[in-house]
Amino acid sequence: MKYWRQPLDKDRIKVPIGIVHVINERCKGCGFCVEFCPRGILLMSRQTNAKGYHLPEIADDSNCVNCGLCMLLCPDFAIYVEDSGADE
Amino acid sequence: MAELGYPNNECLEQSGYESSEESDWLTGLHPMDDLLRGERLPHIWCQGCGLGTALTTFISAIQWLEKNRGWDLDKISVVSGIGCTGRVAGYLRLDSFHTTHGRALPFATGLKLANPDLKVVVISGDGDIAGIGGNHLIHAARRNLDITVICVNNFNYGMTGGQVGPTTPHKARAVTTQYGNYEYPFNLPYLVAAGGASFVARWTVLHARRLTWTLREAMEHPGFSFVEIIAPCSTAYARWNPEGRGLDPQKLGRRGLEVMKHYQKIGRVGQDVHPKDAVIKVDENGLISEIVEGKFLDDPRPDLQAAIDQLASVADKRWQAAKKSLDERPKVPKRTDHVPRTEVQLGGFGGQGIMSAGKIVGQAAAIYDKLEASFTQSYGPEARGGSAGSQVVISSDPIHHPHLIEPTSAIIMSQAAYDKYVANLASGGTLLIDDGLVCLSQNHREDIKTYGIAATQIAGEIGNSRAANTVMLGFWAAIIGAVSEEAMRQSVSESVPSKTLDVNLKAFDIGFNRGREKIEQ
Repeated sequence: MKYWRQPLDKDRIKVPIGIVHVINERCKGCGFCVEFCPRGILLMSRQTNAKGYHLPEIADDSNCVNCGLCMLLCPDFAIYVEDSGADE
Repeated sequence: MAELGYPNNECLEQSGYESSEESDWLTGLHPMDDLLRGERLPHIWCQGCGLGTALTTFISAIQWLEKNRGWDLDKISVVSGIGCTGRVAGYLRLDSFHTTHGRALPFATGLKLANPDLKVVVISGDGDIAGIGGNHLIHAARRNLDITVICVNNFNYGMTGGQVGPTTPHKARAVTTQYGNYEYPFNLPYLVAAGGASFVARWTVLHARRLTWTLREAMEHPGFSFVEIIAPCSTAYARWNPEGRGLDPQKLGRRGLEVMKHYQKIGRVGQDVHPKDAVIKVDENGLISEIVEGKFLDDPRPDLQAAIDQLASVADKRWQAAKKSLDERPKVPKRTDHVPRTEVQLGGFGGQGIMSAGKIVGQAAAIYDKLEASFTQSYGPEARGGSAGSQVVISSDPIHHPHLIEPTSAIIMSQAAYDKYVANLASGGTLLIDDGLVCLSQNHREDIKTYGIAATQIAGEIGNSRAANTVMLGFWAAIIGAVSEEAMRQSVSESVPSKTLDVNLKAFDIGFNRGREKIEQ
C-alpha cells in the first residue's frame, strides 16, 4: 500500500528493528504470539518440541519493530525480542 | 548460584534448589528470568491459559517501576491464596507468601500494618478473592488499606475442574451447571468501588500493554487499588462455552487462543465509565458479548495507615495523661504480714455496684497492698438490672486458680444472690448481708457467721443510695481484715466519681466503724 501523505517527523523517527528469539523447550504452543503479532512475522510451524507442542516459526524477521508484544503476551516466557541496534 | 548475578538471588541456596545442567529456566536468556524462580518452572498453567500473560504483565510493571521509580525489589511482597492464580507467589522471585484459601487479604493486611514500608501486592483468583475471601475483600476495600489487589478472573473454579463460581456469568455453562448458570455473578469493580476502594480497573489479558500501565498506576496508588484481569481458562471454562470454539461448535482448535480472539472482538475500552456500568454482558446462550474495560475509579484519599497514625497521636496524649496520674497515686506502706488465700463472693442485682465493689477490693489488694488478686464477674444478659455477681481472690502467694474454690466470705445485697451464693460458702465462713434487702431463710446455715448492716438505708441517709456498696465494703474490710483500711480507702477514692467522693468516703467510714463494733461485741 502506498500512502500519499507522509508523517511530518518521518525523517527524525527511527523505526527500530528487533530480533525475535524463541526458547523452544519452554513453548506450550498456545499461538498467542502468532495470532497477535502486529507485523505478522510469526507462523505456526509443523515442528514440535520435546513435549509435543507446535512451535512458532519466524517467517520474516526483517519486519520486526521490537514492540515486545509477543514477549508480553507469551504465558510461558518462551519468546523475547532483542534490539538489533540497527534502524530502518 | 550467585555467579548468575540475579539481583534478588541471595536466598536461592536456602530455598532447597539444587543446580542442574538440564534446567533451561536459569539461563537468564529471557528478560524476565531474573524475577522468576527458575527452579520451580515450568509452571503448571495449561496451554492457552491467561495466567502466564497476567504474570508477564505484572513482572513488566515491576521492572518498569524498578527502573523508572527506583523501587527496591526487597520492599515488594506478593501474597497469593489458593487456586491456579495462587501459584503466582511461588513463581516470582520476590518476597512472596502462599496463604490458605481466601485468606490472602487478611495476611496482606497484617503484613502491611506490621511493616508499612512494604509494597504489598495480592495476586489471586476470583474464587479465592471474591468467593471464599469475599468478605475480606469488601472489608479491606472499606478500610482503604494501601495494598494492591490483582484479581485474575477466569469465570470459574479452574483448578478443581471448572465448577461454577461467584463470577460465572448468568446462563454460562460450567461443570456443575450444565444447563447454564442460574445464579447472577458479581460485578467485581462495582462491588469493590461500593466497598470503598480508591482505585478500580479491569482489563483482559489481551490488552497486555494497557494492563501493564494500569498495574504500574495501581501499585503507585496510595490506598486500596483493585485490578480485575479477565483471563481465559482454556481447559475448563472455554471447554463448556461457545467462545472456546470460536463460536463454531464444529471447530476444534486452541481454545485459549479462540477466547483471546473473542476478547479482541468484544472488549470495549471505556473512558471514565462509572463502576456500575462496567458490566460483562452475556447473551441468551451465556456467551460473553461485551466486556467493558478500563480504569473506572481513581480517587486518592487518606489510607488506613494515615488514619491510624492520626488517632495514635490522640491516644498517646491520653495515655501520657493517664500514666501521669497513675505515677502520682499515693503509696501505702507495704504489708509484711502473710495473707492466706481469701475468697470473696459478692452478689446483688445490677446497678448496686457489685462489679465495682469487687474491682475496688481487688485493686486495693493488688495495687496498694501489693498482694496478688484476681477478679472475675458473672451476670445476666442485661446491662442494667438483673442478677450480678463478682468474685475476688486475694493472697500473698501467686494465685494459680483465678476462680473461687470455696469462698470464705460473701457480701450479699439481694435476695436472689442470697439464695444462689450462700450454699457455696465454706463452713465457718462469714456472710455479710444488707439487712434492708435480704431476709434470712427459715433454715439458715448454722455453721457460718452472719453479720448484717442496712447499707442501702445508711447510704440513702447520708445523701446517695448508690454508695451502699461502699458501706458494705467498709463493713467487710473491718470484719475480714484481709486488706488494710488505708488501701481500701485509697482504692475507693480512686474508683468513684470525684463528685461522689465525700459521700463514698463517709459511707466507707460508717461501714468500717459498724464492722468494728460488731467484732468487739
